[in-house]
Parts: sequence; C-alpha cells; structure tokens
Amino acid sequence: MTILEVSSQTWIITLVGWSVVFVALFLLIFIFNNIPKLLKMNFKREKTAKPQKVQTETAGDKYISGDETAAIAMAIHMFFEEQHDEESNIITIKRIERRYSPWSSKIYGLRNFPN
Amino acid sequence: MENKYRKSIVALAAVVLLLTLQAVFGWVDAWAADAPGAAASAGAEGGALEGLKSFWSFTGFANFHISNLVMIVVGLFFIFLAIKYDYEPLLLIPIGTGILLGNIPFVPGYNVGIYESGSVMNYLYFGVKQGIYPPLIFLGIGAMTDFSSLISNPKLMLLGAAAQLGIFATFLGASALGFNPQEAGAIGIIGGADGPTAIFLSAMLAPHLMGAIAIAAYSYMALVPVIQPPIIRLIIPKKERKIKMKPPRAVSKVEKILFPIIGLLLTLFIAPTALPLLGMLFFGNILKESGVTERLADTSRNALINIVTILLGVTVGASTQADVFLTIDSLKIFGLGALSFMVATAGGLVFARIMNLFLRGDNKINPMIGAAGVSAVPDSARVVQVEGQKNDTSNHLLMHAMAPNVSGVIGSAVGAGILLSFLL
Repeated sequence: MTILEVSSQTWIITLVGWSVVFVALFLLIFIFNNIPKLLKMNFKREKTAKPQKVQTETAGDKYISGDETAAIAMAIHMFFEEQHDEESNIITIKRIERRYSPWSSKIYGLRNFPN
Repeated sequence: MENKYRKSIVALAAVVLLLTLQAVFGWVDAWAADAPGAAASAGAEGGALEGLKSFWSFTGFANFHISNLVMIVVGLFFIFLAIKYDYEPLLLIPIGTGILLGNIPFVPGYNVGIYESGSVMNYLYFGVKQGIYPPLIFLGIGAMTDFSSLISNPKLMLLGAAAQLGIFATFLGASALGFNPQEAGAIGIIGGADGPTAIFLSAMLAPHLMGAIAIAAYSYMALVPVIQPPIIRLIIPKKERKIKMKPPRAVSKVEKILFPIIGLLLTLFIAPTALPLLGMLFFGNILKESGVTERLADTSRNALINIVTILLGVTVGASTQADVFLTIDSLKIFGLGALSFMVATAGGLVFARIMNLFLRGDNKINPMIGAAGVSAVPDSARVVQVEGQKNDTSNHLLMHAMAPNVSGVIGSAVGAGILLSFLL
C-alpha cells in the first residue's frame, strides 16, 4: 500500500522510529526527575543518625538564584579588592647616603704591581 | 581606476597564456602525428618534445573540466564563509580546503585521487568509509559537554526528541522522491543536524551518497544562524519570545556522574545499533564527570577531537570529486537537507508551544529554545540566545537552550540507531 507516494513500510519506520526516540528520552526524563528524590531519601536517613553532618550537606545542595550568586560574587570580589597592603603611595628611588662602592675600585685590580 | 585595468589585463593575459599553451601543445600533437617519417625522427628532438608533452598531459590544465572549476568555487566559498562570517570555521576551513584538494584535475591511475585504492588520501578516507572518525568525534563531544542544564530540567529533553521530526520527515520526502529506503534513511539523518552522525549512517547505508550528505549536513549546520531566526520569528509570537525562565537548579556531582552511566545503559538497550556513537559520547562524559581521569578527558576534548576533525573535514571535502559529486541526486539531497533543517526547527518550536499549554506559572518555558532541539551544538543554542536578547536584553536563554541542544545530540544518535536497525 502506498500513501502519498510512500510505501506503508516507510510510514511504519517513520512513526515507530520517531516514537522510539521519544520513548528513550522520556525514560531518561522519568529517571532524572526521580533521582534527586532518591538522593534526598538517603540524606533523610543520615539526618537522624548524624544531624550535624547533614546540615552541611543540605547547605551544599541549597538552591541559590542567579541574582544571589552575582551578589555574593560581587561582595567577595570587593572584599578581596580591598584586601591590600597599606602603602605610602610614594614611589621614588631611594637615595643612599654611602656613595662609595668598590665594584670598580682600582685598588682591587689585578694590575697592581708590588712596589 | 588604473589599478583596476591593470588587474583585468593581468587576468586576461593569464587566460590567454593558458589557452596558448593548450593550443600549442595541441598543434604539436597534430604535427607529430601528421609529419612524414614521424616515427623515424624519434631522436633527441622527439624525446624532448615527448617529455614536454608528457609533462603537459600530467598538469591540471590538460585534465581540466568545467565541473572541477564549479567545485573549486564551492570550496573557496566555504573558506570565504568561514573567514568572513565566522560560520563554523573549524569545519568549513578543512572541508573547503578538502574540496580544493579533491578537485585538482589529475591523470587517473597514479594513486593520487581519494577514490584510488592505495593513495594517501584513500588511506585517510578509510576512517570516514568505515565510520571510525564519527565515534571519536563523539568521544570528544562527550568529554566537553556539561549535561547539568539538562539534568536540572529534564523535561526539556522532549524538545530534543521533537526536533528529530526533521530526520523522519526527510526520510519520507526522500522516499517520495524515489530514493530507495537505505538512501532515504541516510539522507533523512541530515535533519538530525549532526555531521558525525550523518557520516556514520551514510557510510553504513548509502556510501555512494556520503559526500553529498556530509557536505549538506555540515553546510546547513554552518548556516544555522541564517536558517533558524526567520522560522523562530514566524512560529513564536513576540509576546512568547519574552518569556523569562526560572534559573536552573544546582546539580549535584552524583547526578552528573549518574547521567552518562544511566544514559548509556538505557539508550543502548533501546537502540544497540547506536553503540559506536552513544557509547563514545557517554564514555567521554564519564571521563569528564568522574573527576579522576582529567588527563584522558583533556586529551579527548582537545588533542583527539582536533586531530579527527582535521582528518574528517579534509577527507569529506576531498570526497566531493566533481565526477562523483556533481549529479542530480546531489542537488536533490541539498534541497531535502535545507527542508529537513527547517522542519526540524519548526518541530522543536511547535512542540515547545504545545508544552507551554500544560505548564503553569514560572514553569513555563520560552518556546524559542525548541529551535535548539536540532543538535547543531552549540550554534542553535547561540541563535536562541541572540534572538532572546533581541526581544529582551535581560533575558539570557543560553543555559536553558543548551538542554534541548545536547538532548538533540542524544536524540539524533538514537534516531540513527533506529534507522540502522530497520534498514541495515
């Protein structure tokens, strides 16, 4: 049988194929919709045994919106920007009083003949 | 003005020189054949002349055909698009150069051409013919993809499935145009908007059409920023284009590790024929997310994928040798390819609008992200981001669009696996 110049077998491949793509991804959706719940179930069990440890873990999983993240990032940035050594802000070459330097002194030369 | 004339005169002189050379050697041929006692005078002079003739017959000018010129212009156009407009330069530069290499006229029989067994190009082409390069590319893609946007909002995976309408609609269209089922399947995969998948499937189902299919898939992928925006504006009303989506939730490390493992097992149990593609994709992602194989992940997403992209691009380009490539079938494939990209984009967009009918409050999605369901990663997600910004500068859709985008990669590979199991 042909529908719109295409054989029925082609139609079957089309419909079954597209449906299978949906089914595969739908199963993944189902699993990943439920995985957070499964993971949280474990946390609850731990909560009764070790309440202190769980507090830190749930704090890690806490949802933070983009705006809050940006605000925290800005605060940290400003904090670190301000953390700076106190400096005089005067940048000059320090004059050294003792001007003598033996680096070119003739008295250390090799061509000093004994008198 | 003078400069302009000078250029024209130089170009004209070059053409005249070439024609003169061809004419002179033509006369020499005729004279050598007609001259009385030509055979007897095959002395030193004849040897020199023969040498020159032989040299001339080996040059590209002597073997030139107008179809070579057409393909060389196509190759130059690809290089131009990549450099001038930055359209997928990592693909179009190797492919464009490959087209130039594949269309230099040569004398057959000297192990030069890509289709001559024993030639260097033929050895490099082996990786394409046997479907070796695409899984390696998928390994690299897996090692560089972050699935967290998908894991945080799994329902967006449906958009990746909806956009695969492009594959199956093109499969129907190709069948209606008279291609046999295997050829139709190979052409249909262009709608998956995924170059490696298209090469893999066409190598298995219709190797003789692979050059045209690969070129169509890659050129339309590069043209995603041109093809998609008008379709988005046509299907999505302005009001819906401004919808802001709630930010994705933070995804735990355990979920990120579980995703490739579960994805691998589930999808491959459904479509084992997609094993080389999906297996490598999820393997790459396990390397990335496990956190203990950073060196392997780093090699996969940098050195390995770069090497394979170079080899794949240049050999696919060179496979467009004019005598094999310039056929009516290629034109049909290009037409169907353009249509498949449009249908795939429309499929994702329409499905996103349908999904919105069932979603309430801030769970509603911006239907534009449906366009990212075609798997051209990350170009189609970038198109959605740009379109979103045009309507509301504070609306950032990139992260949301990446979810259907990467699920499109999975969806098109599953689709390819299904077509293989039906048609192989």
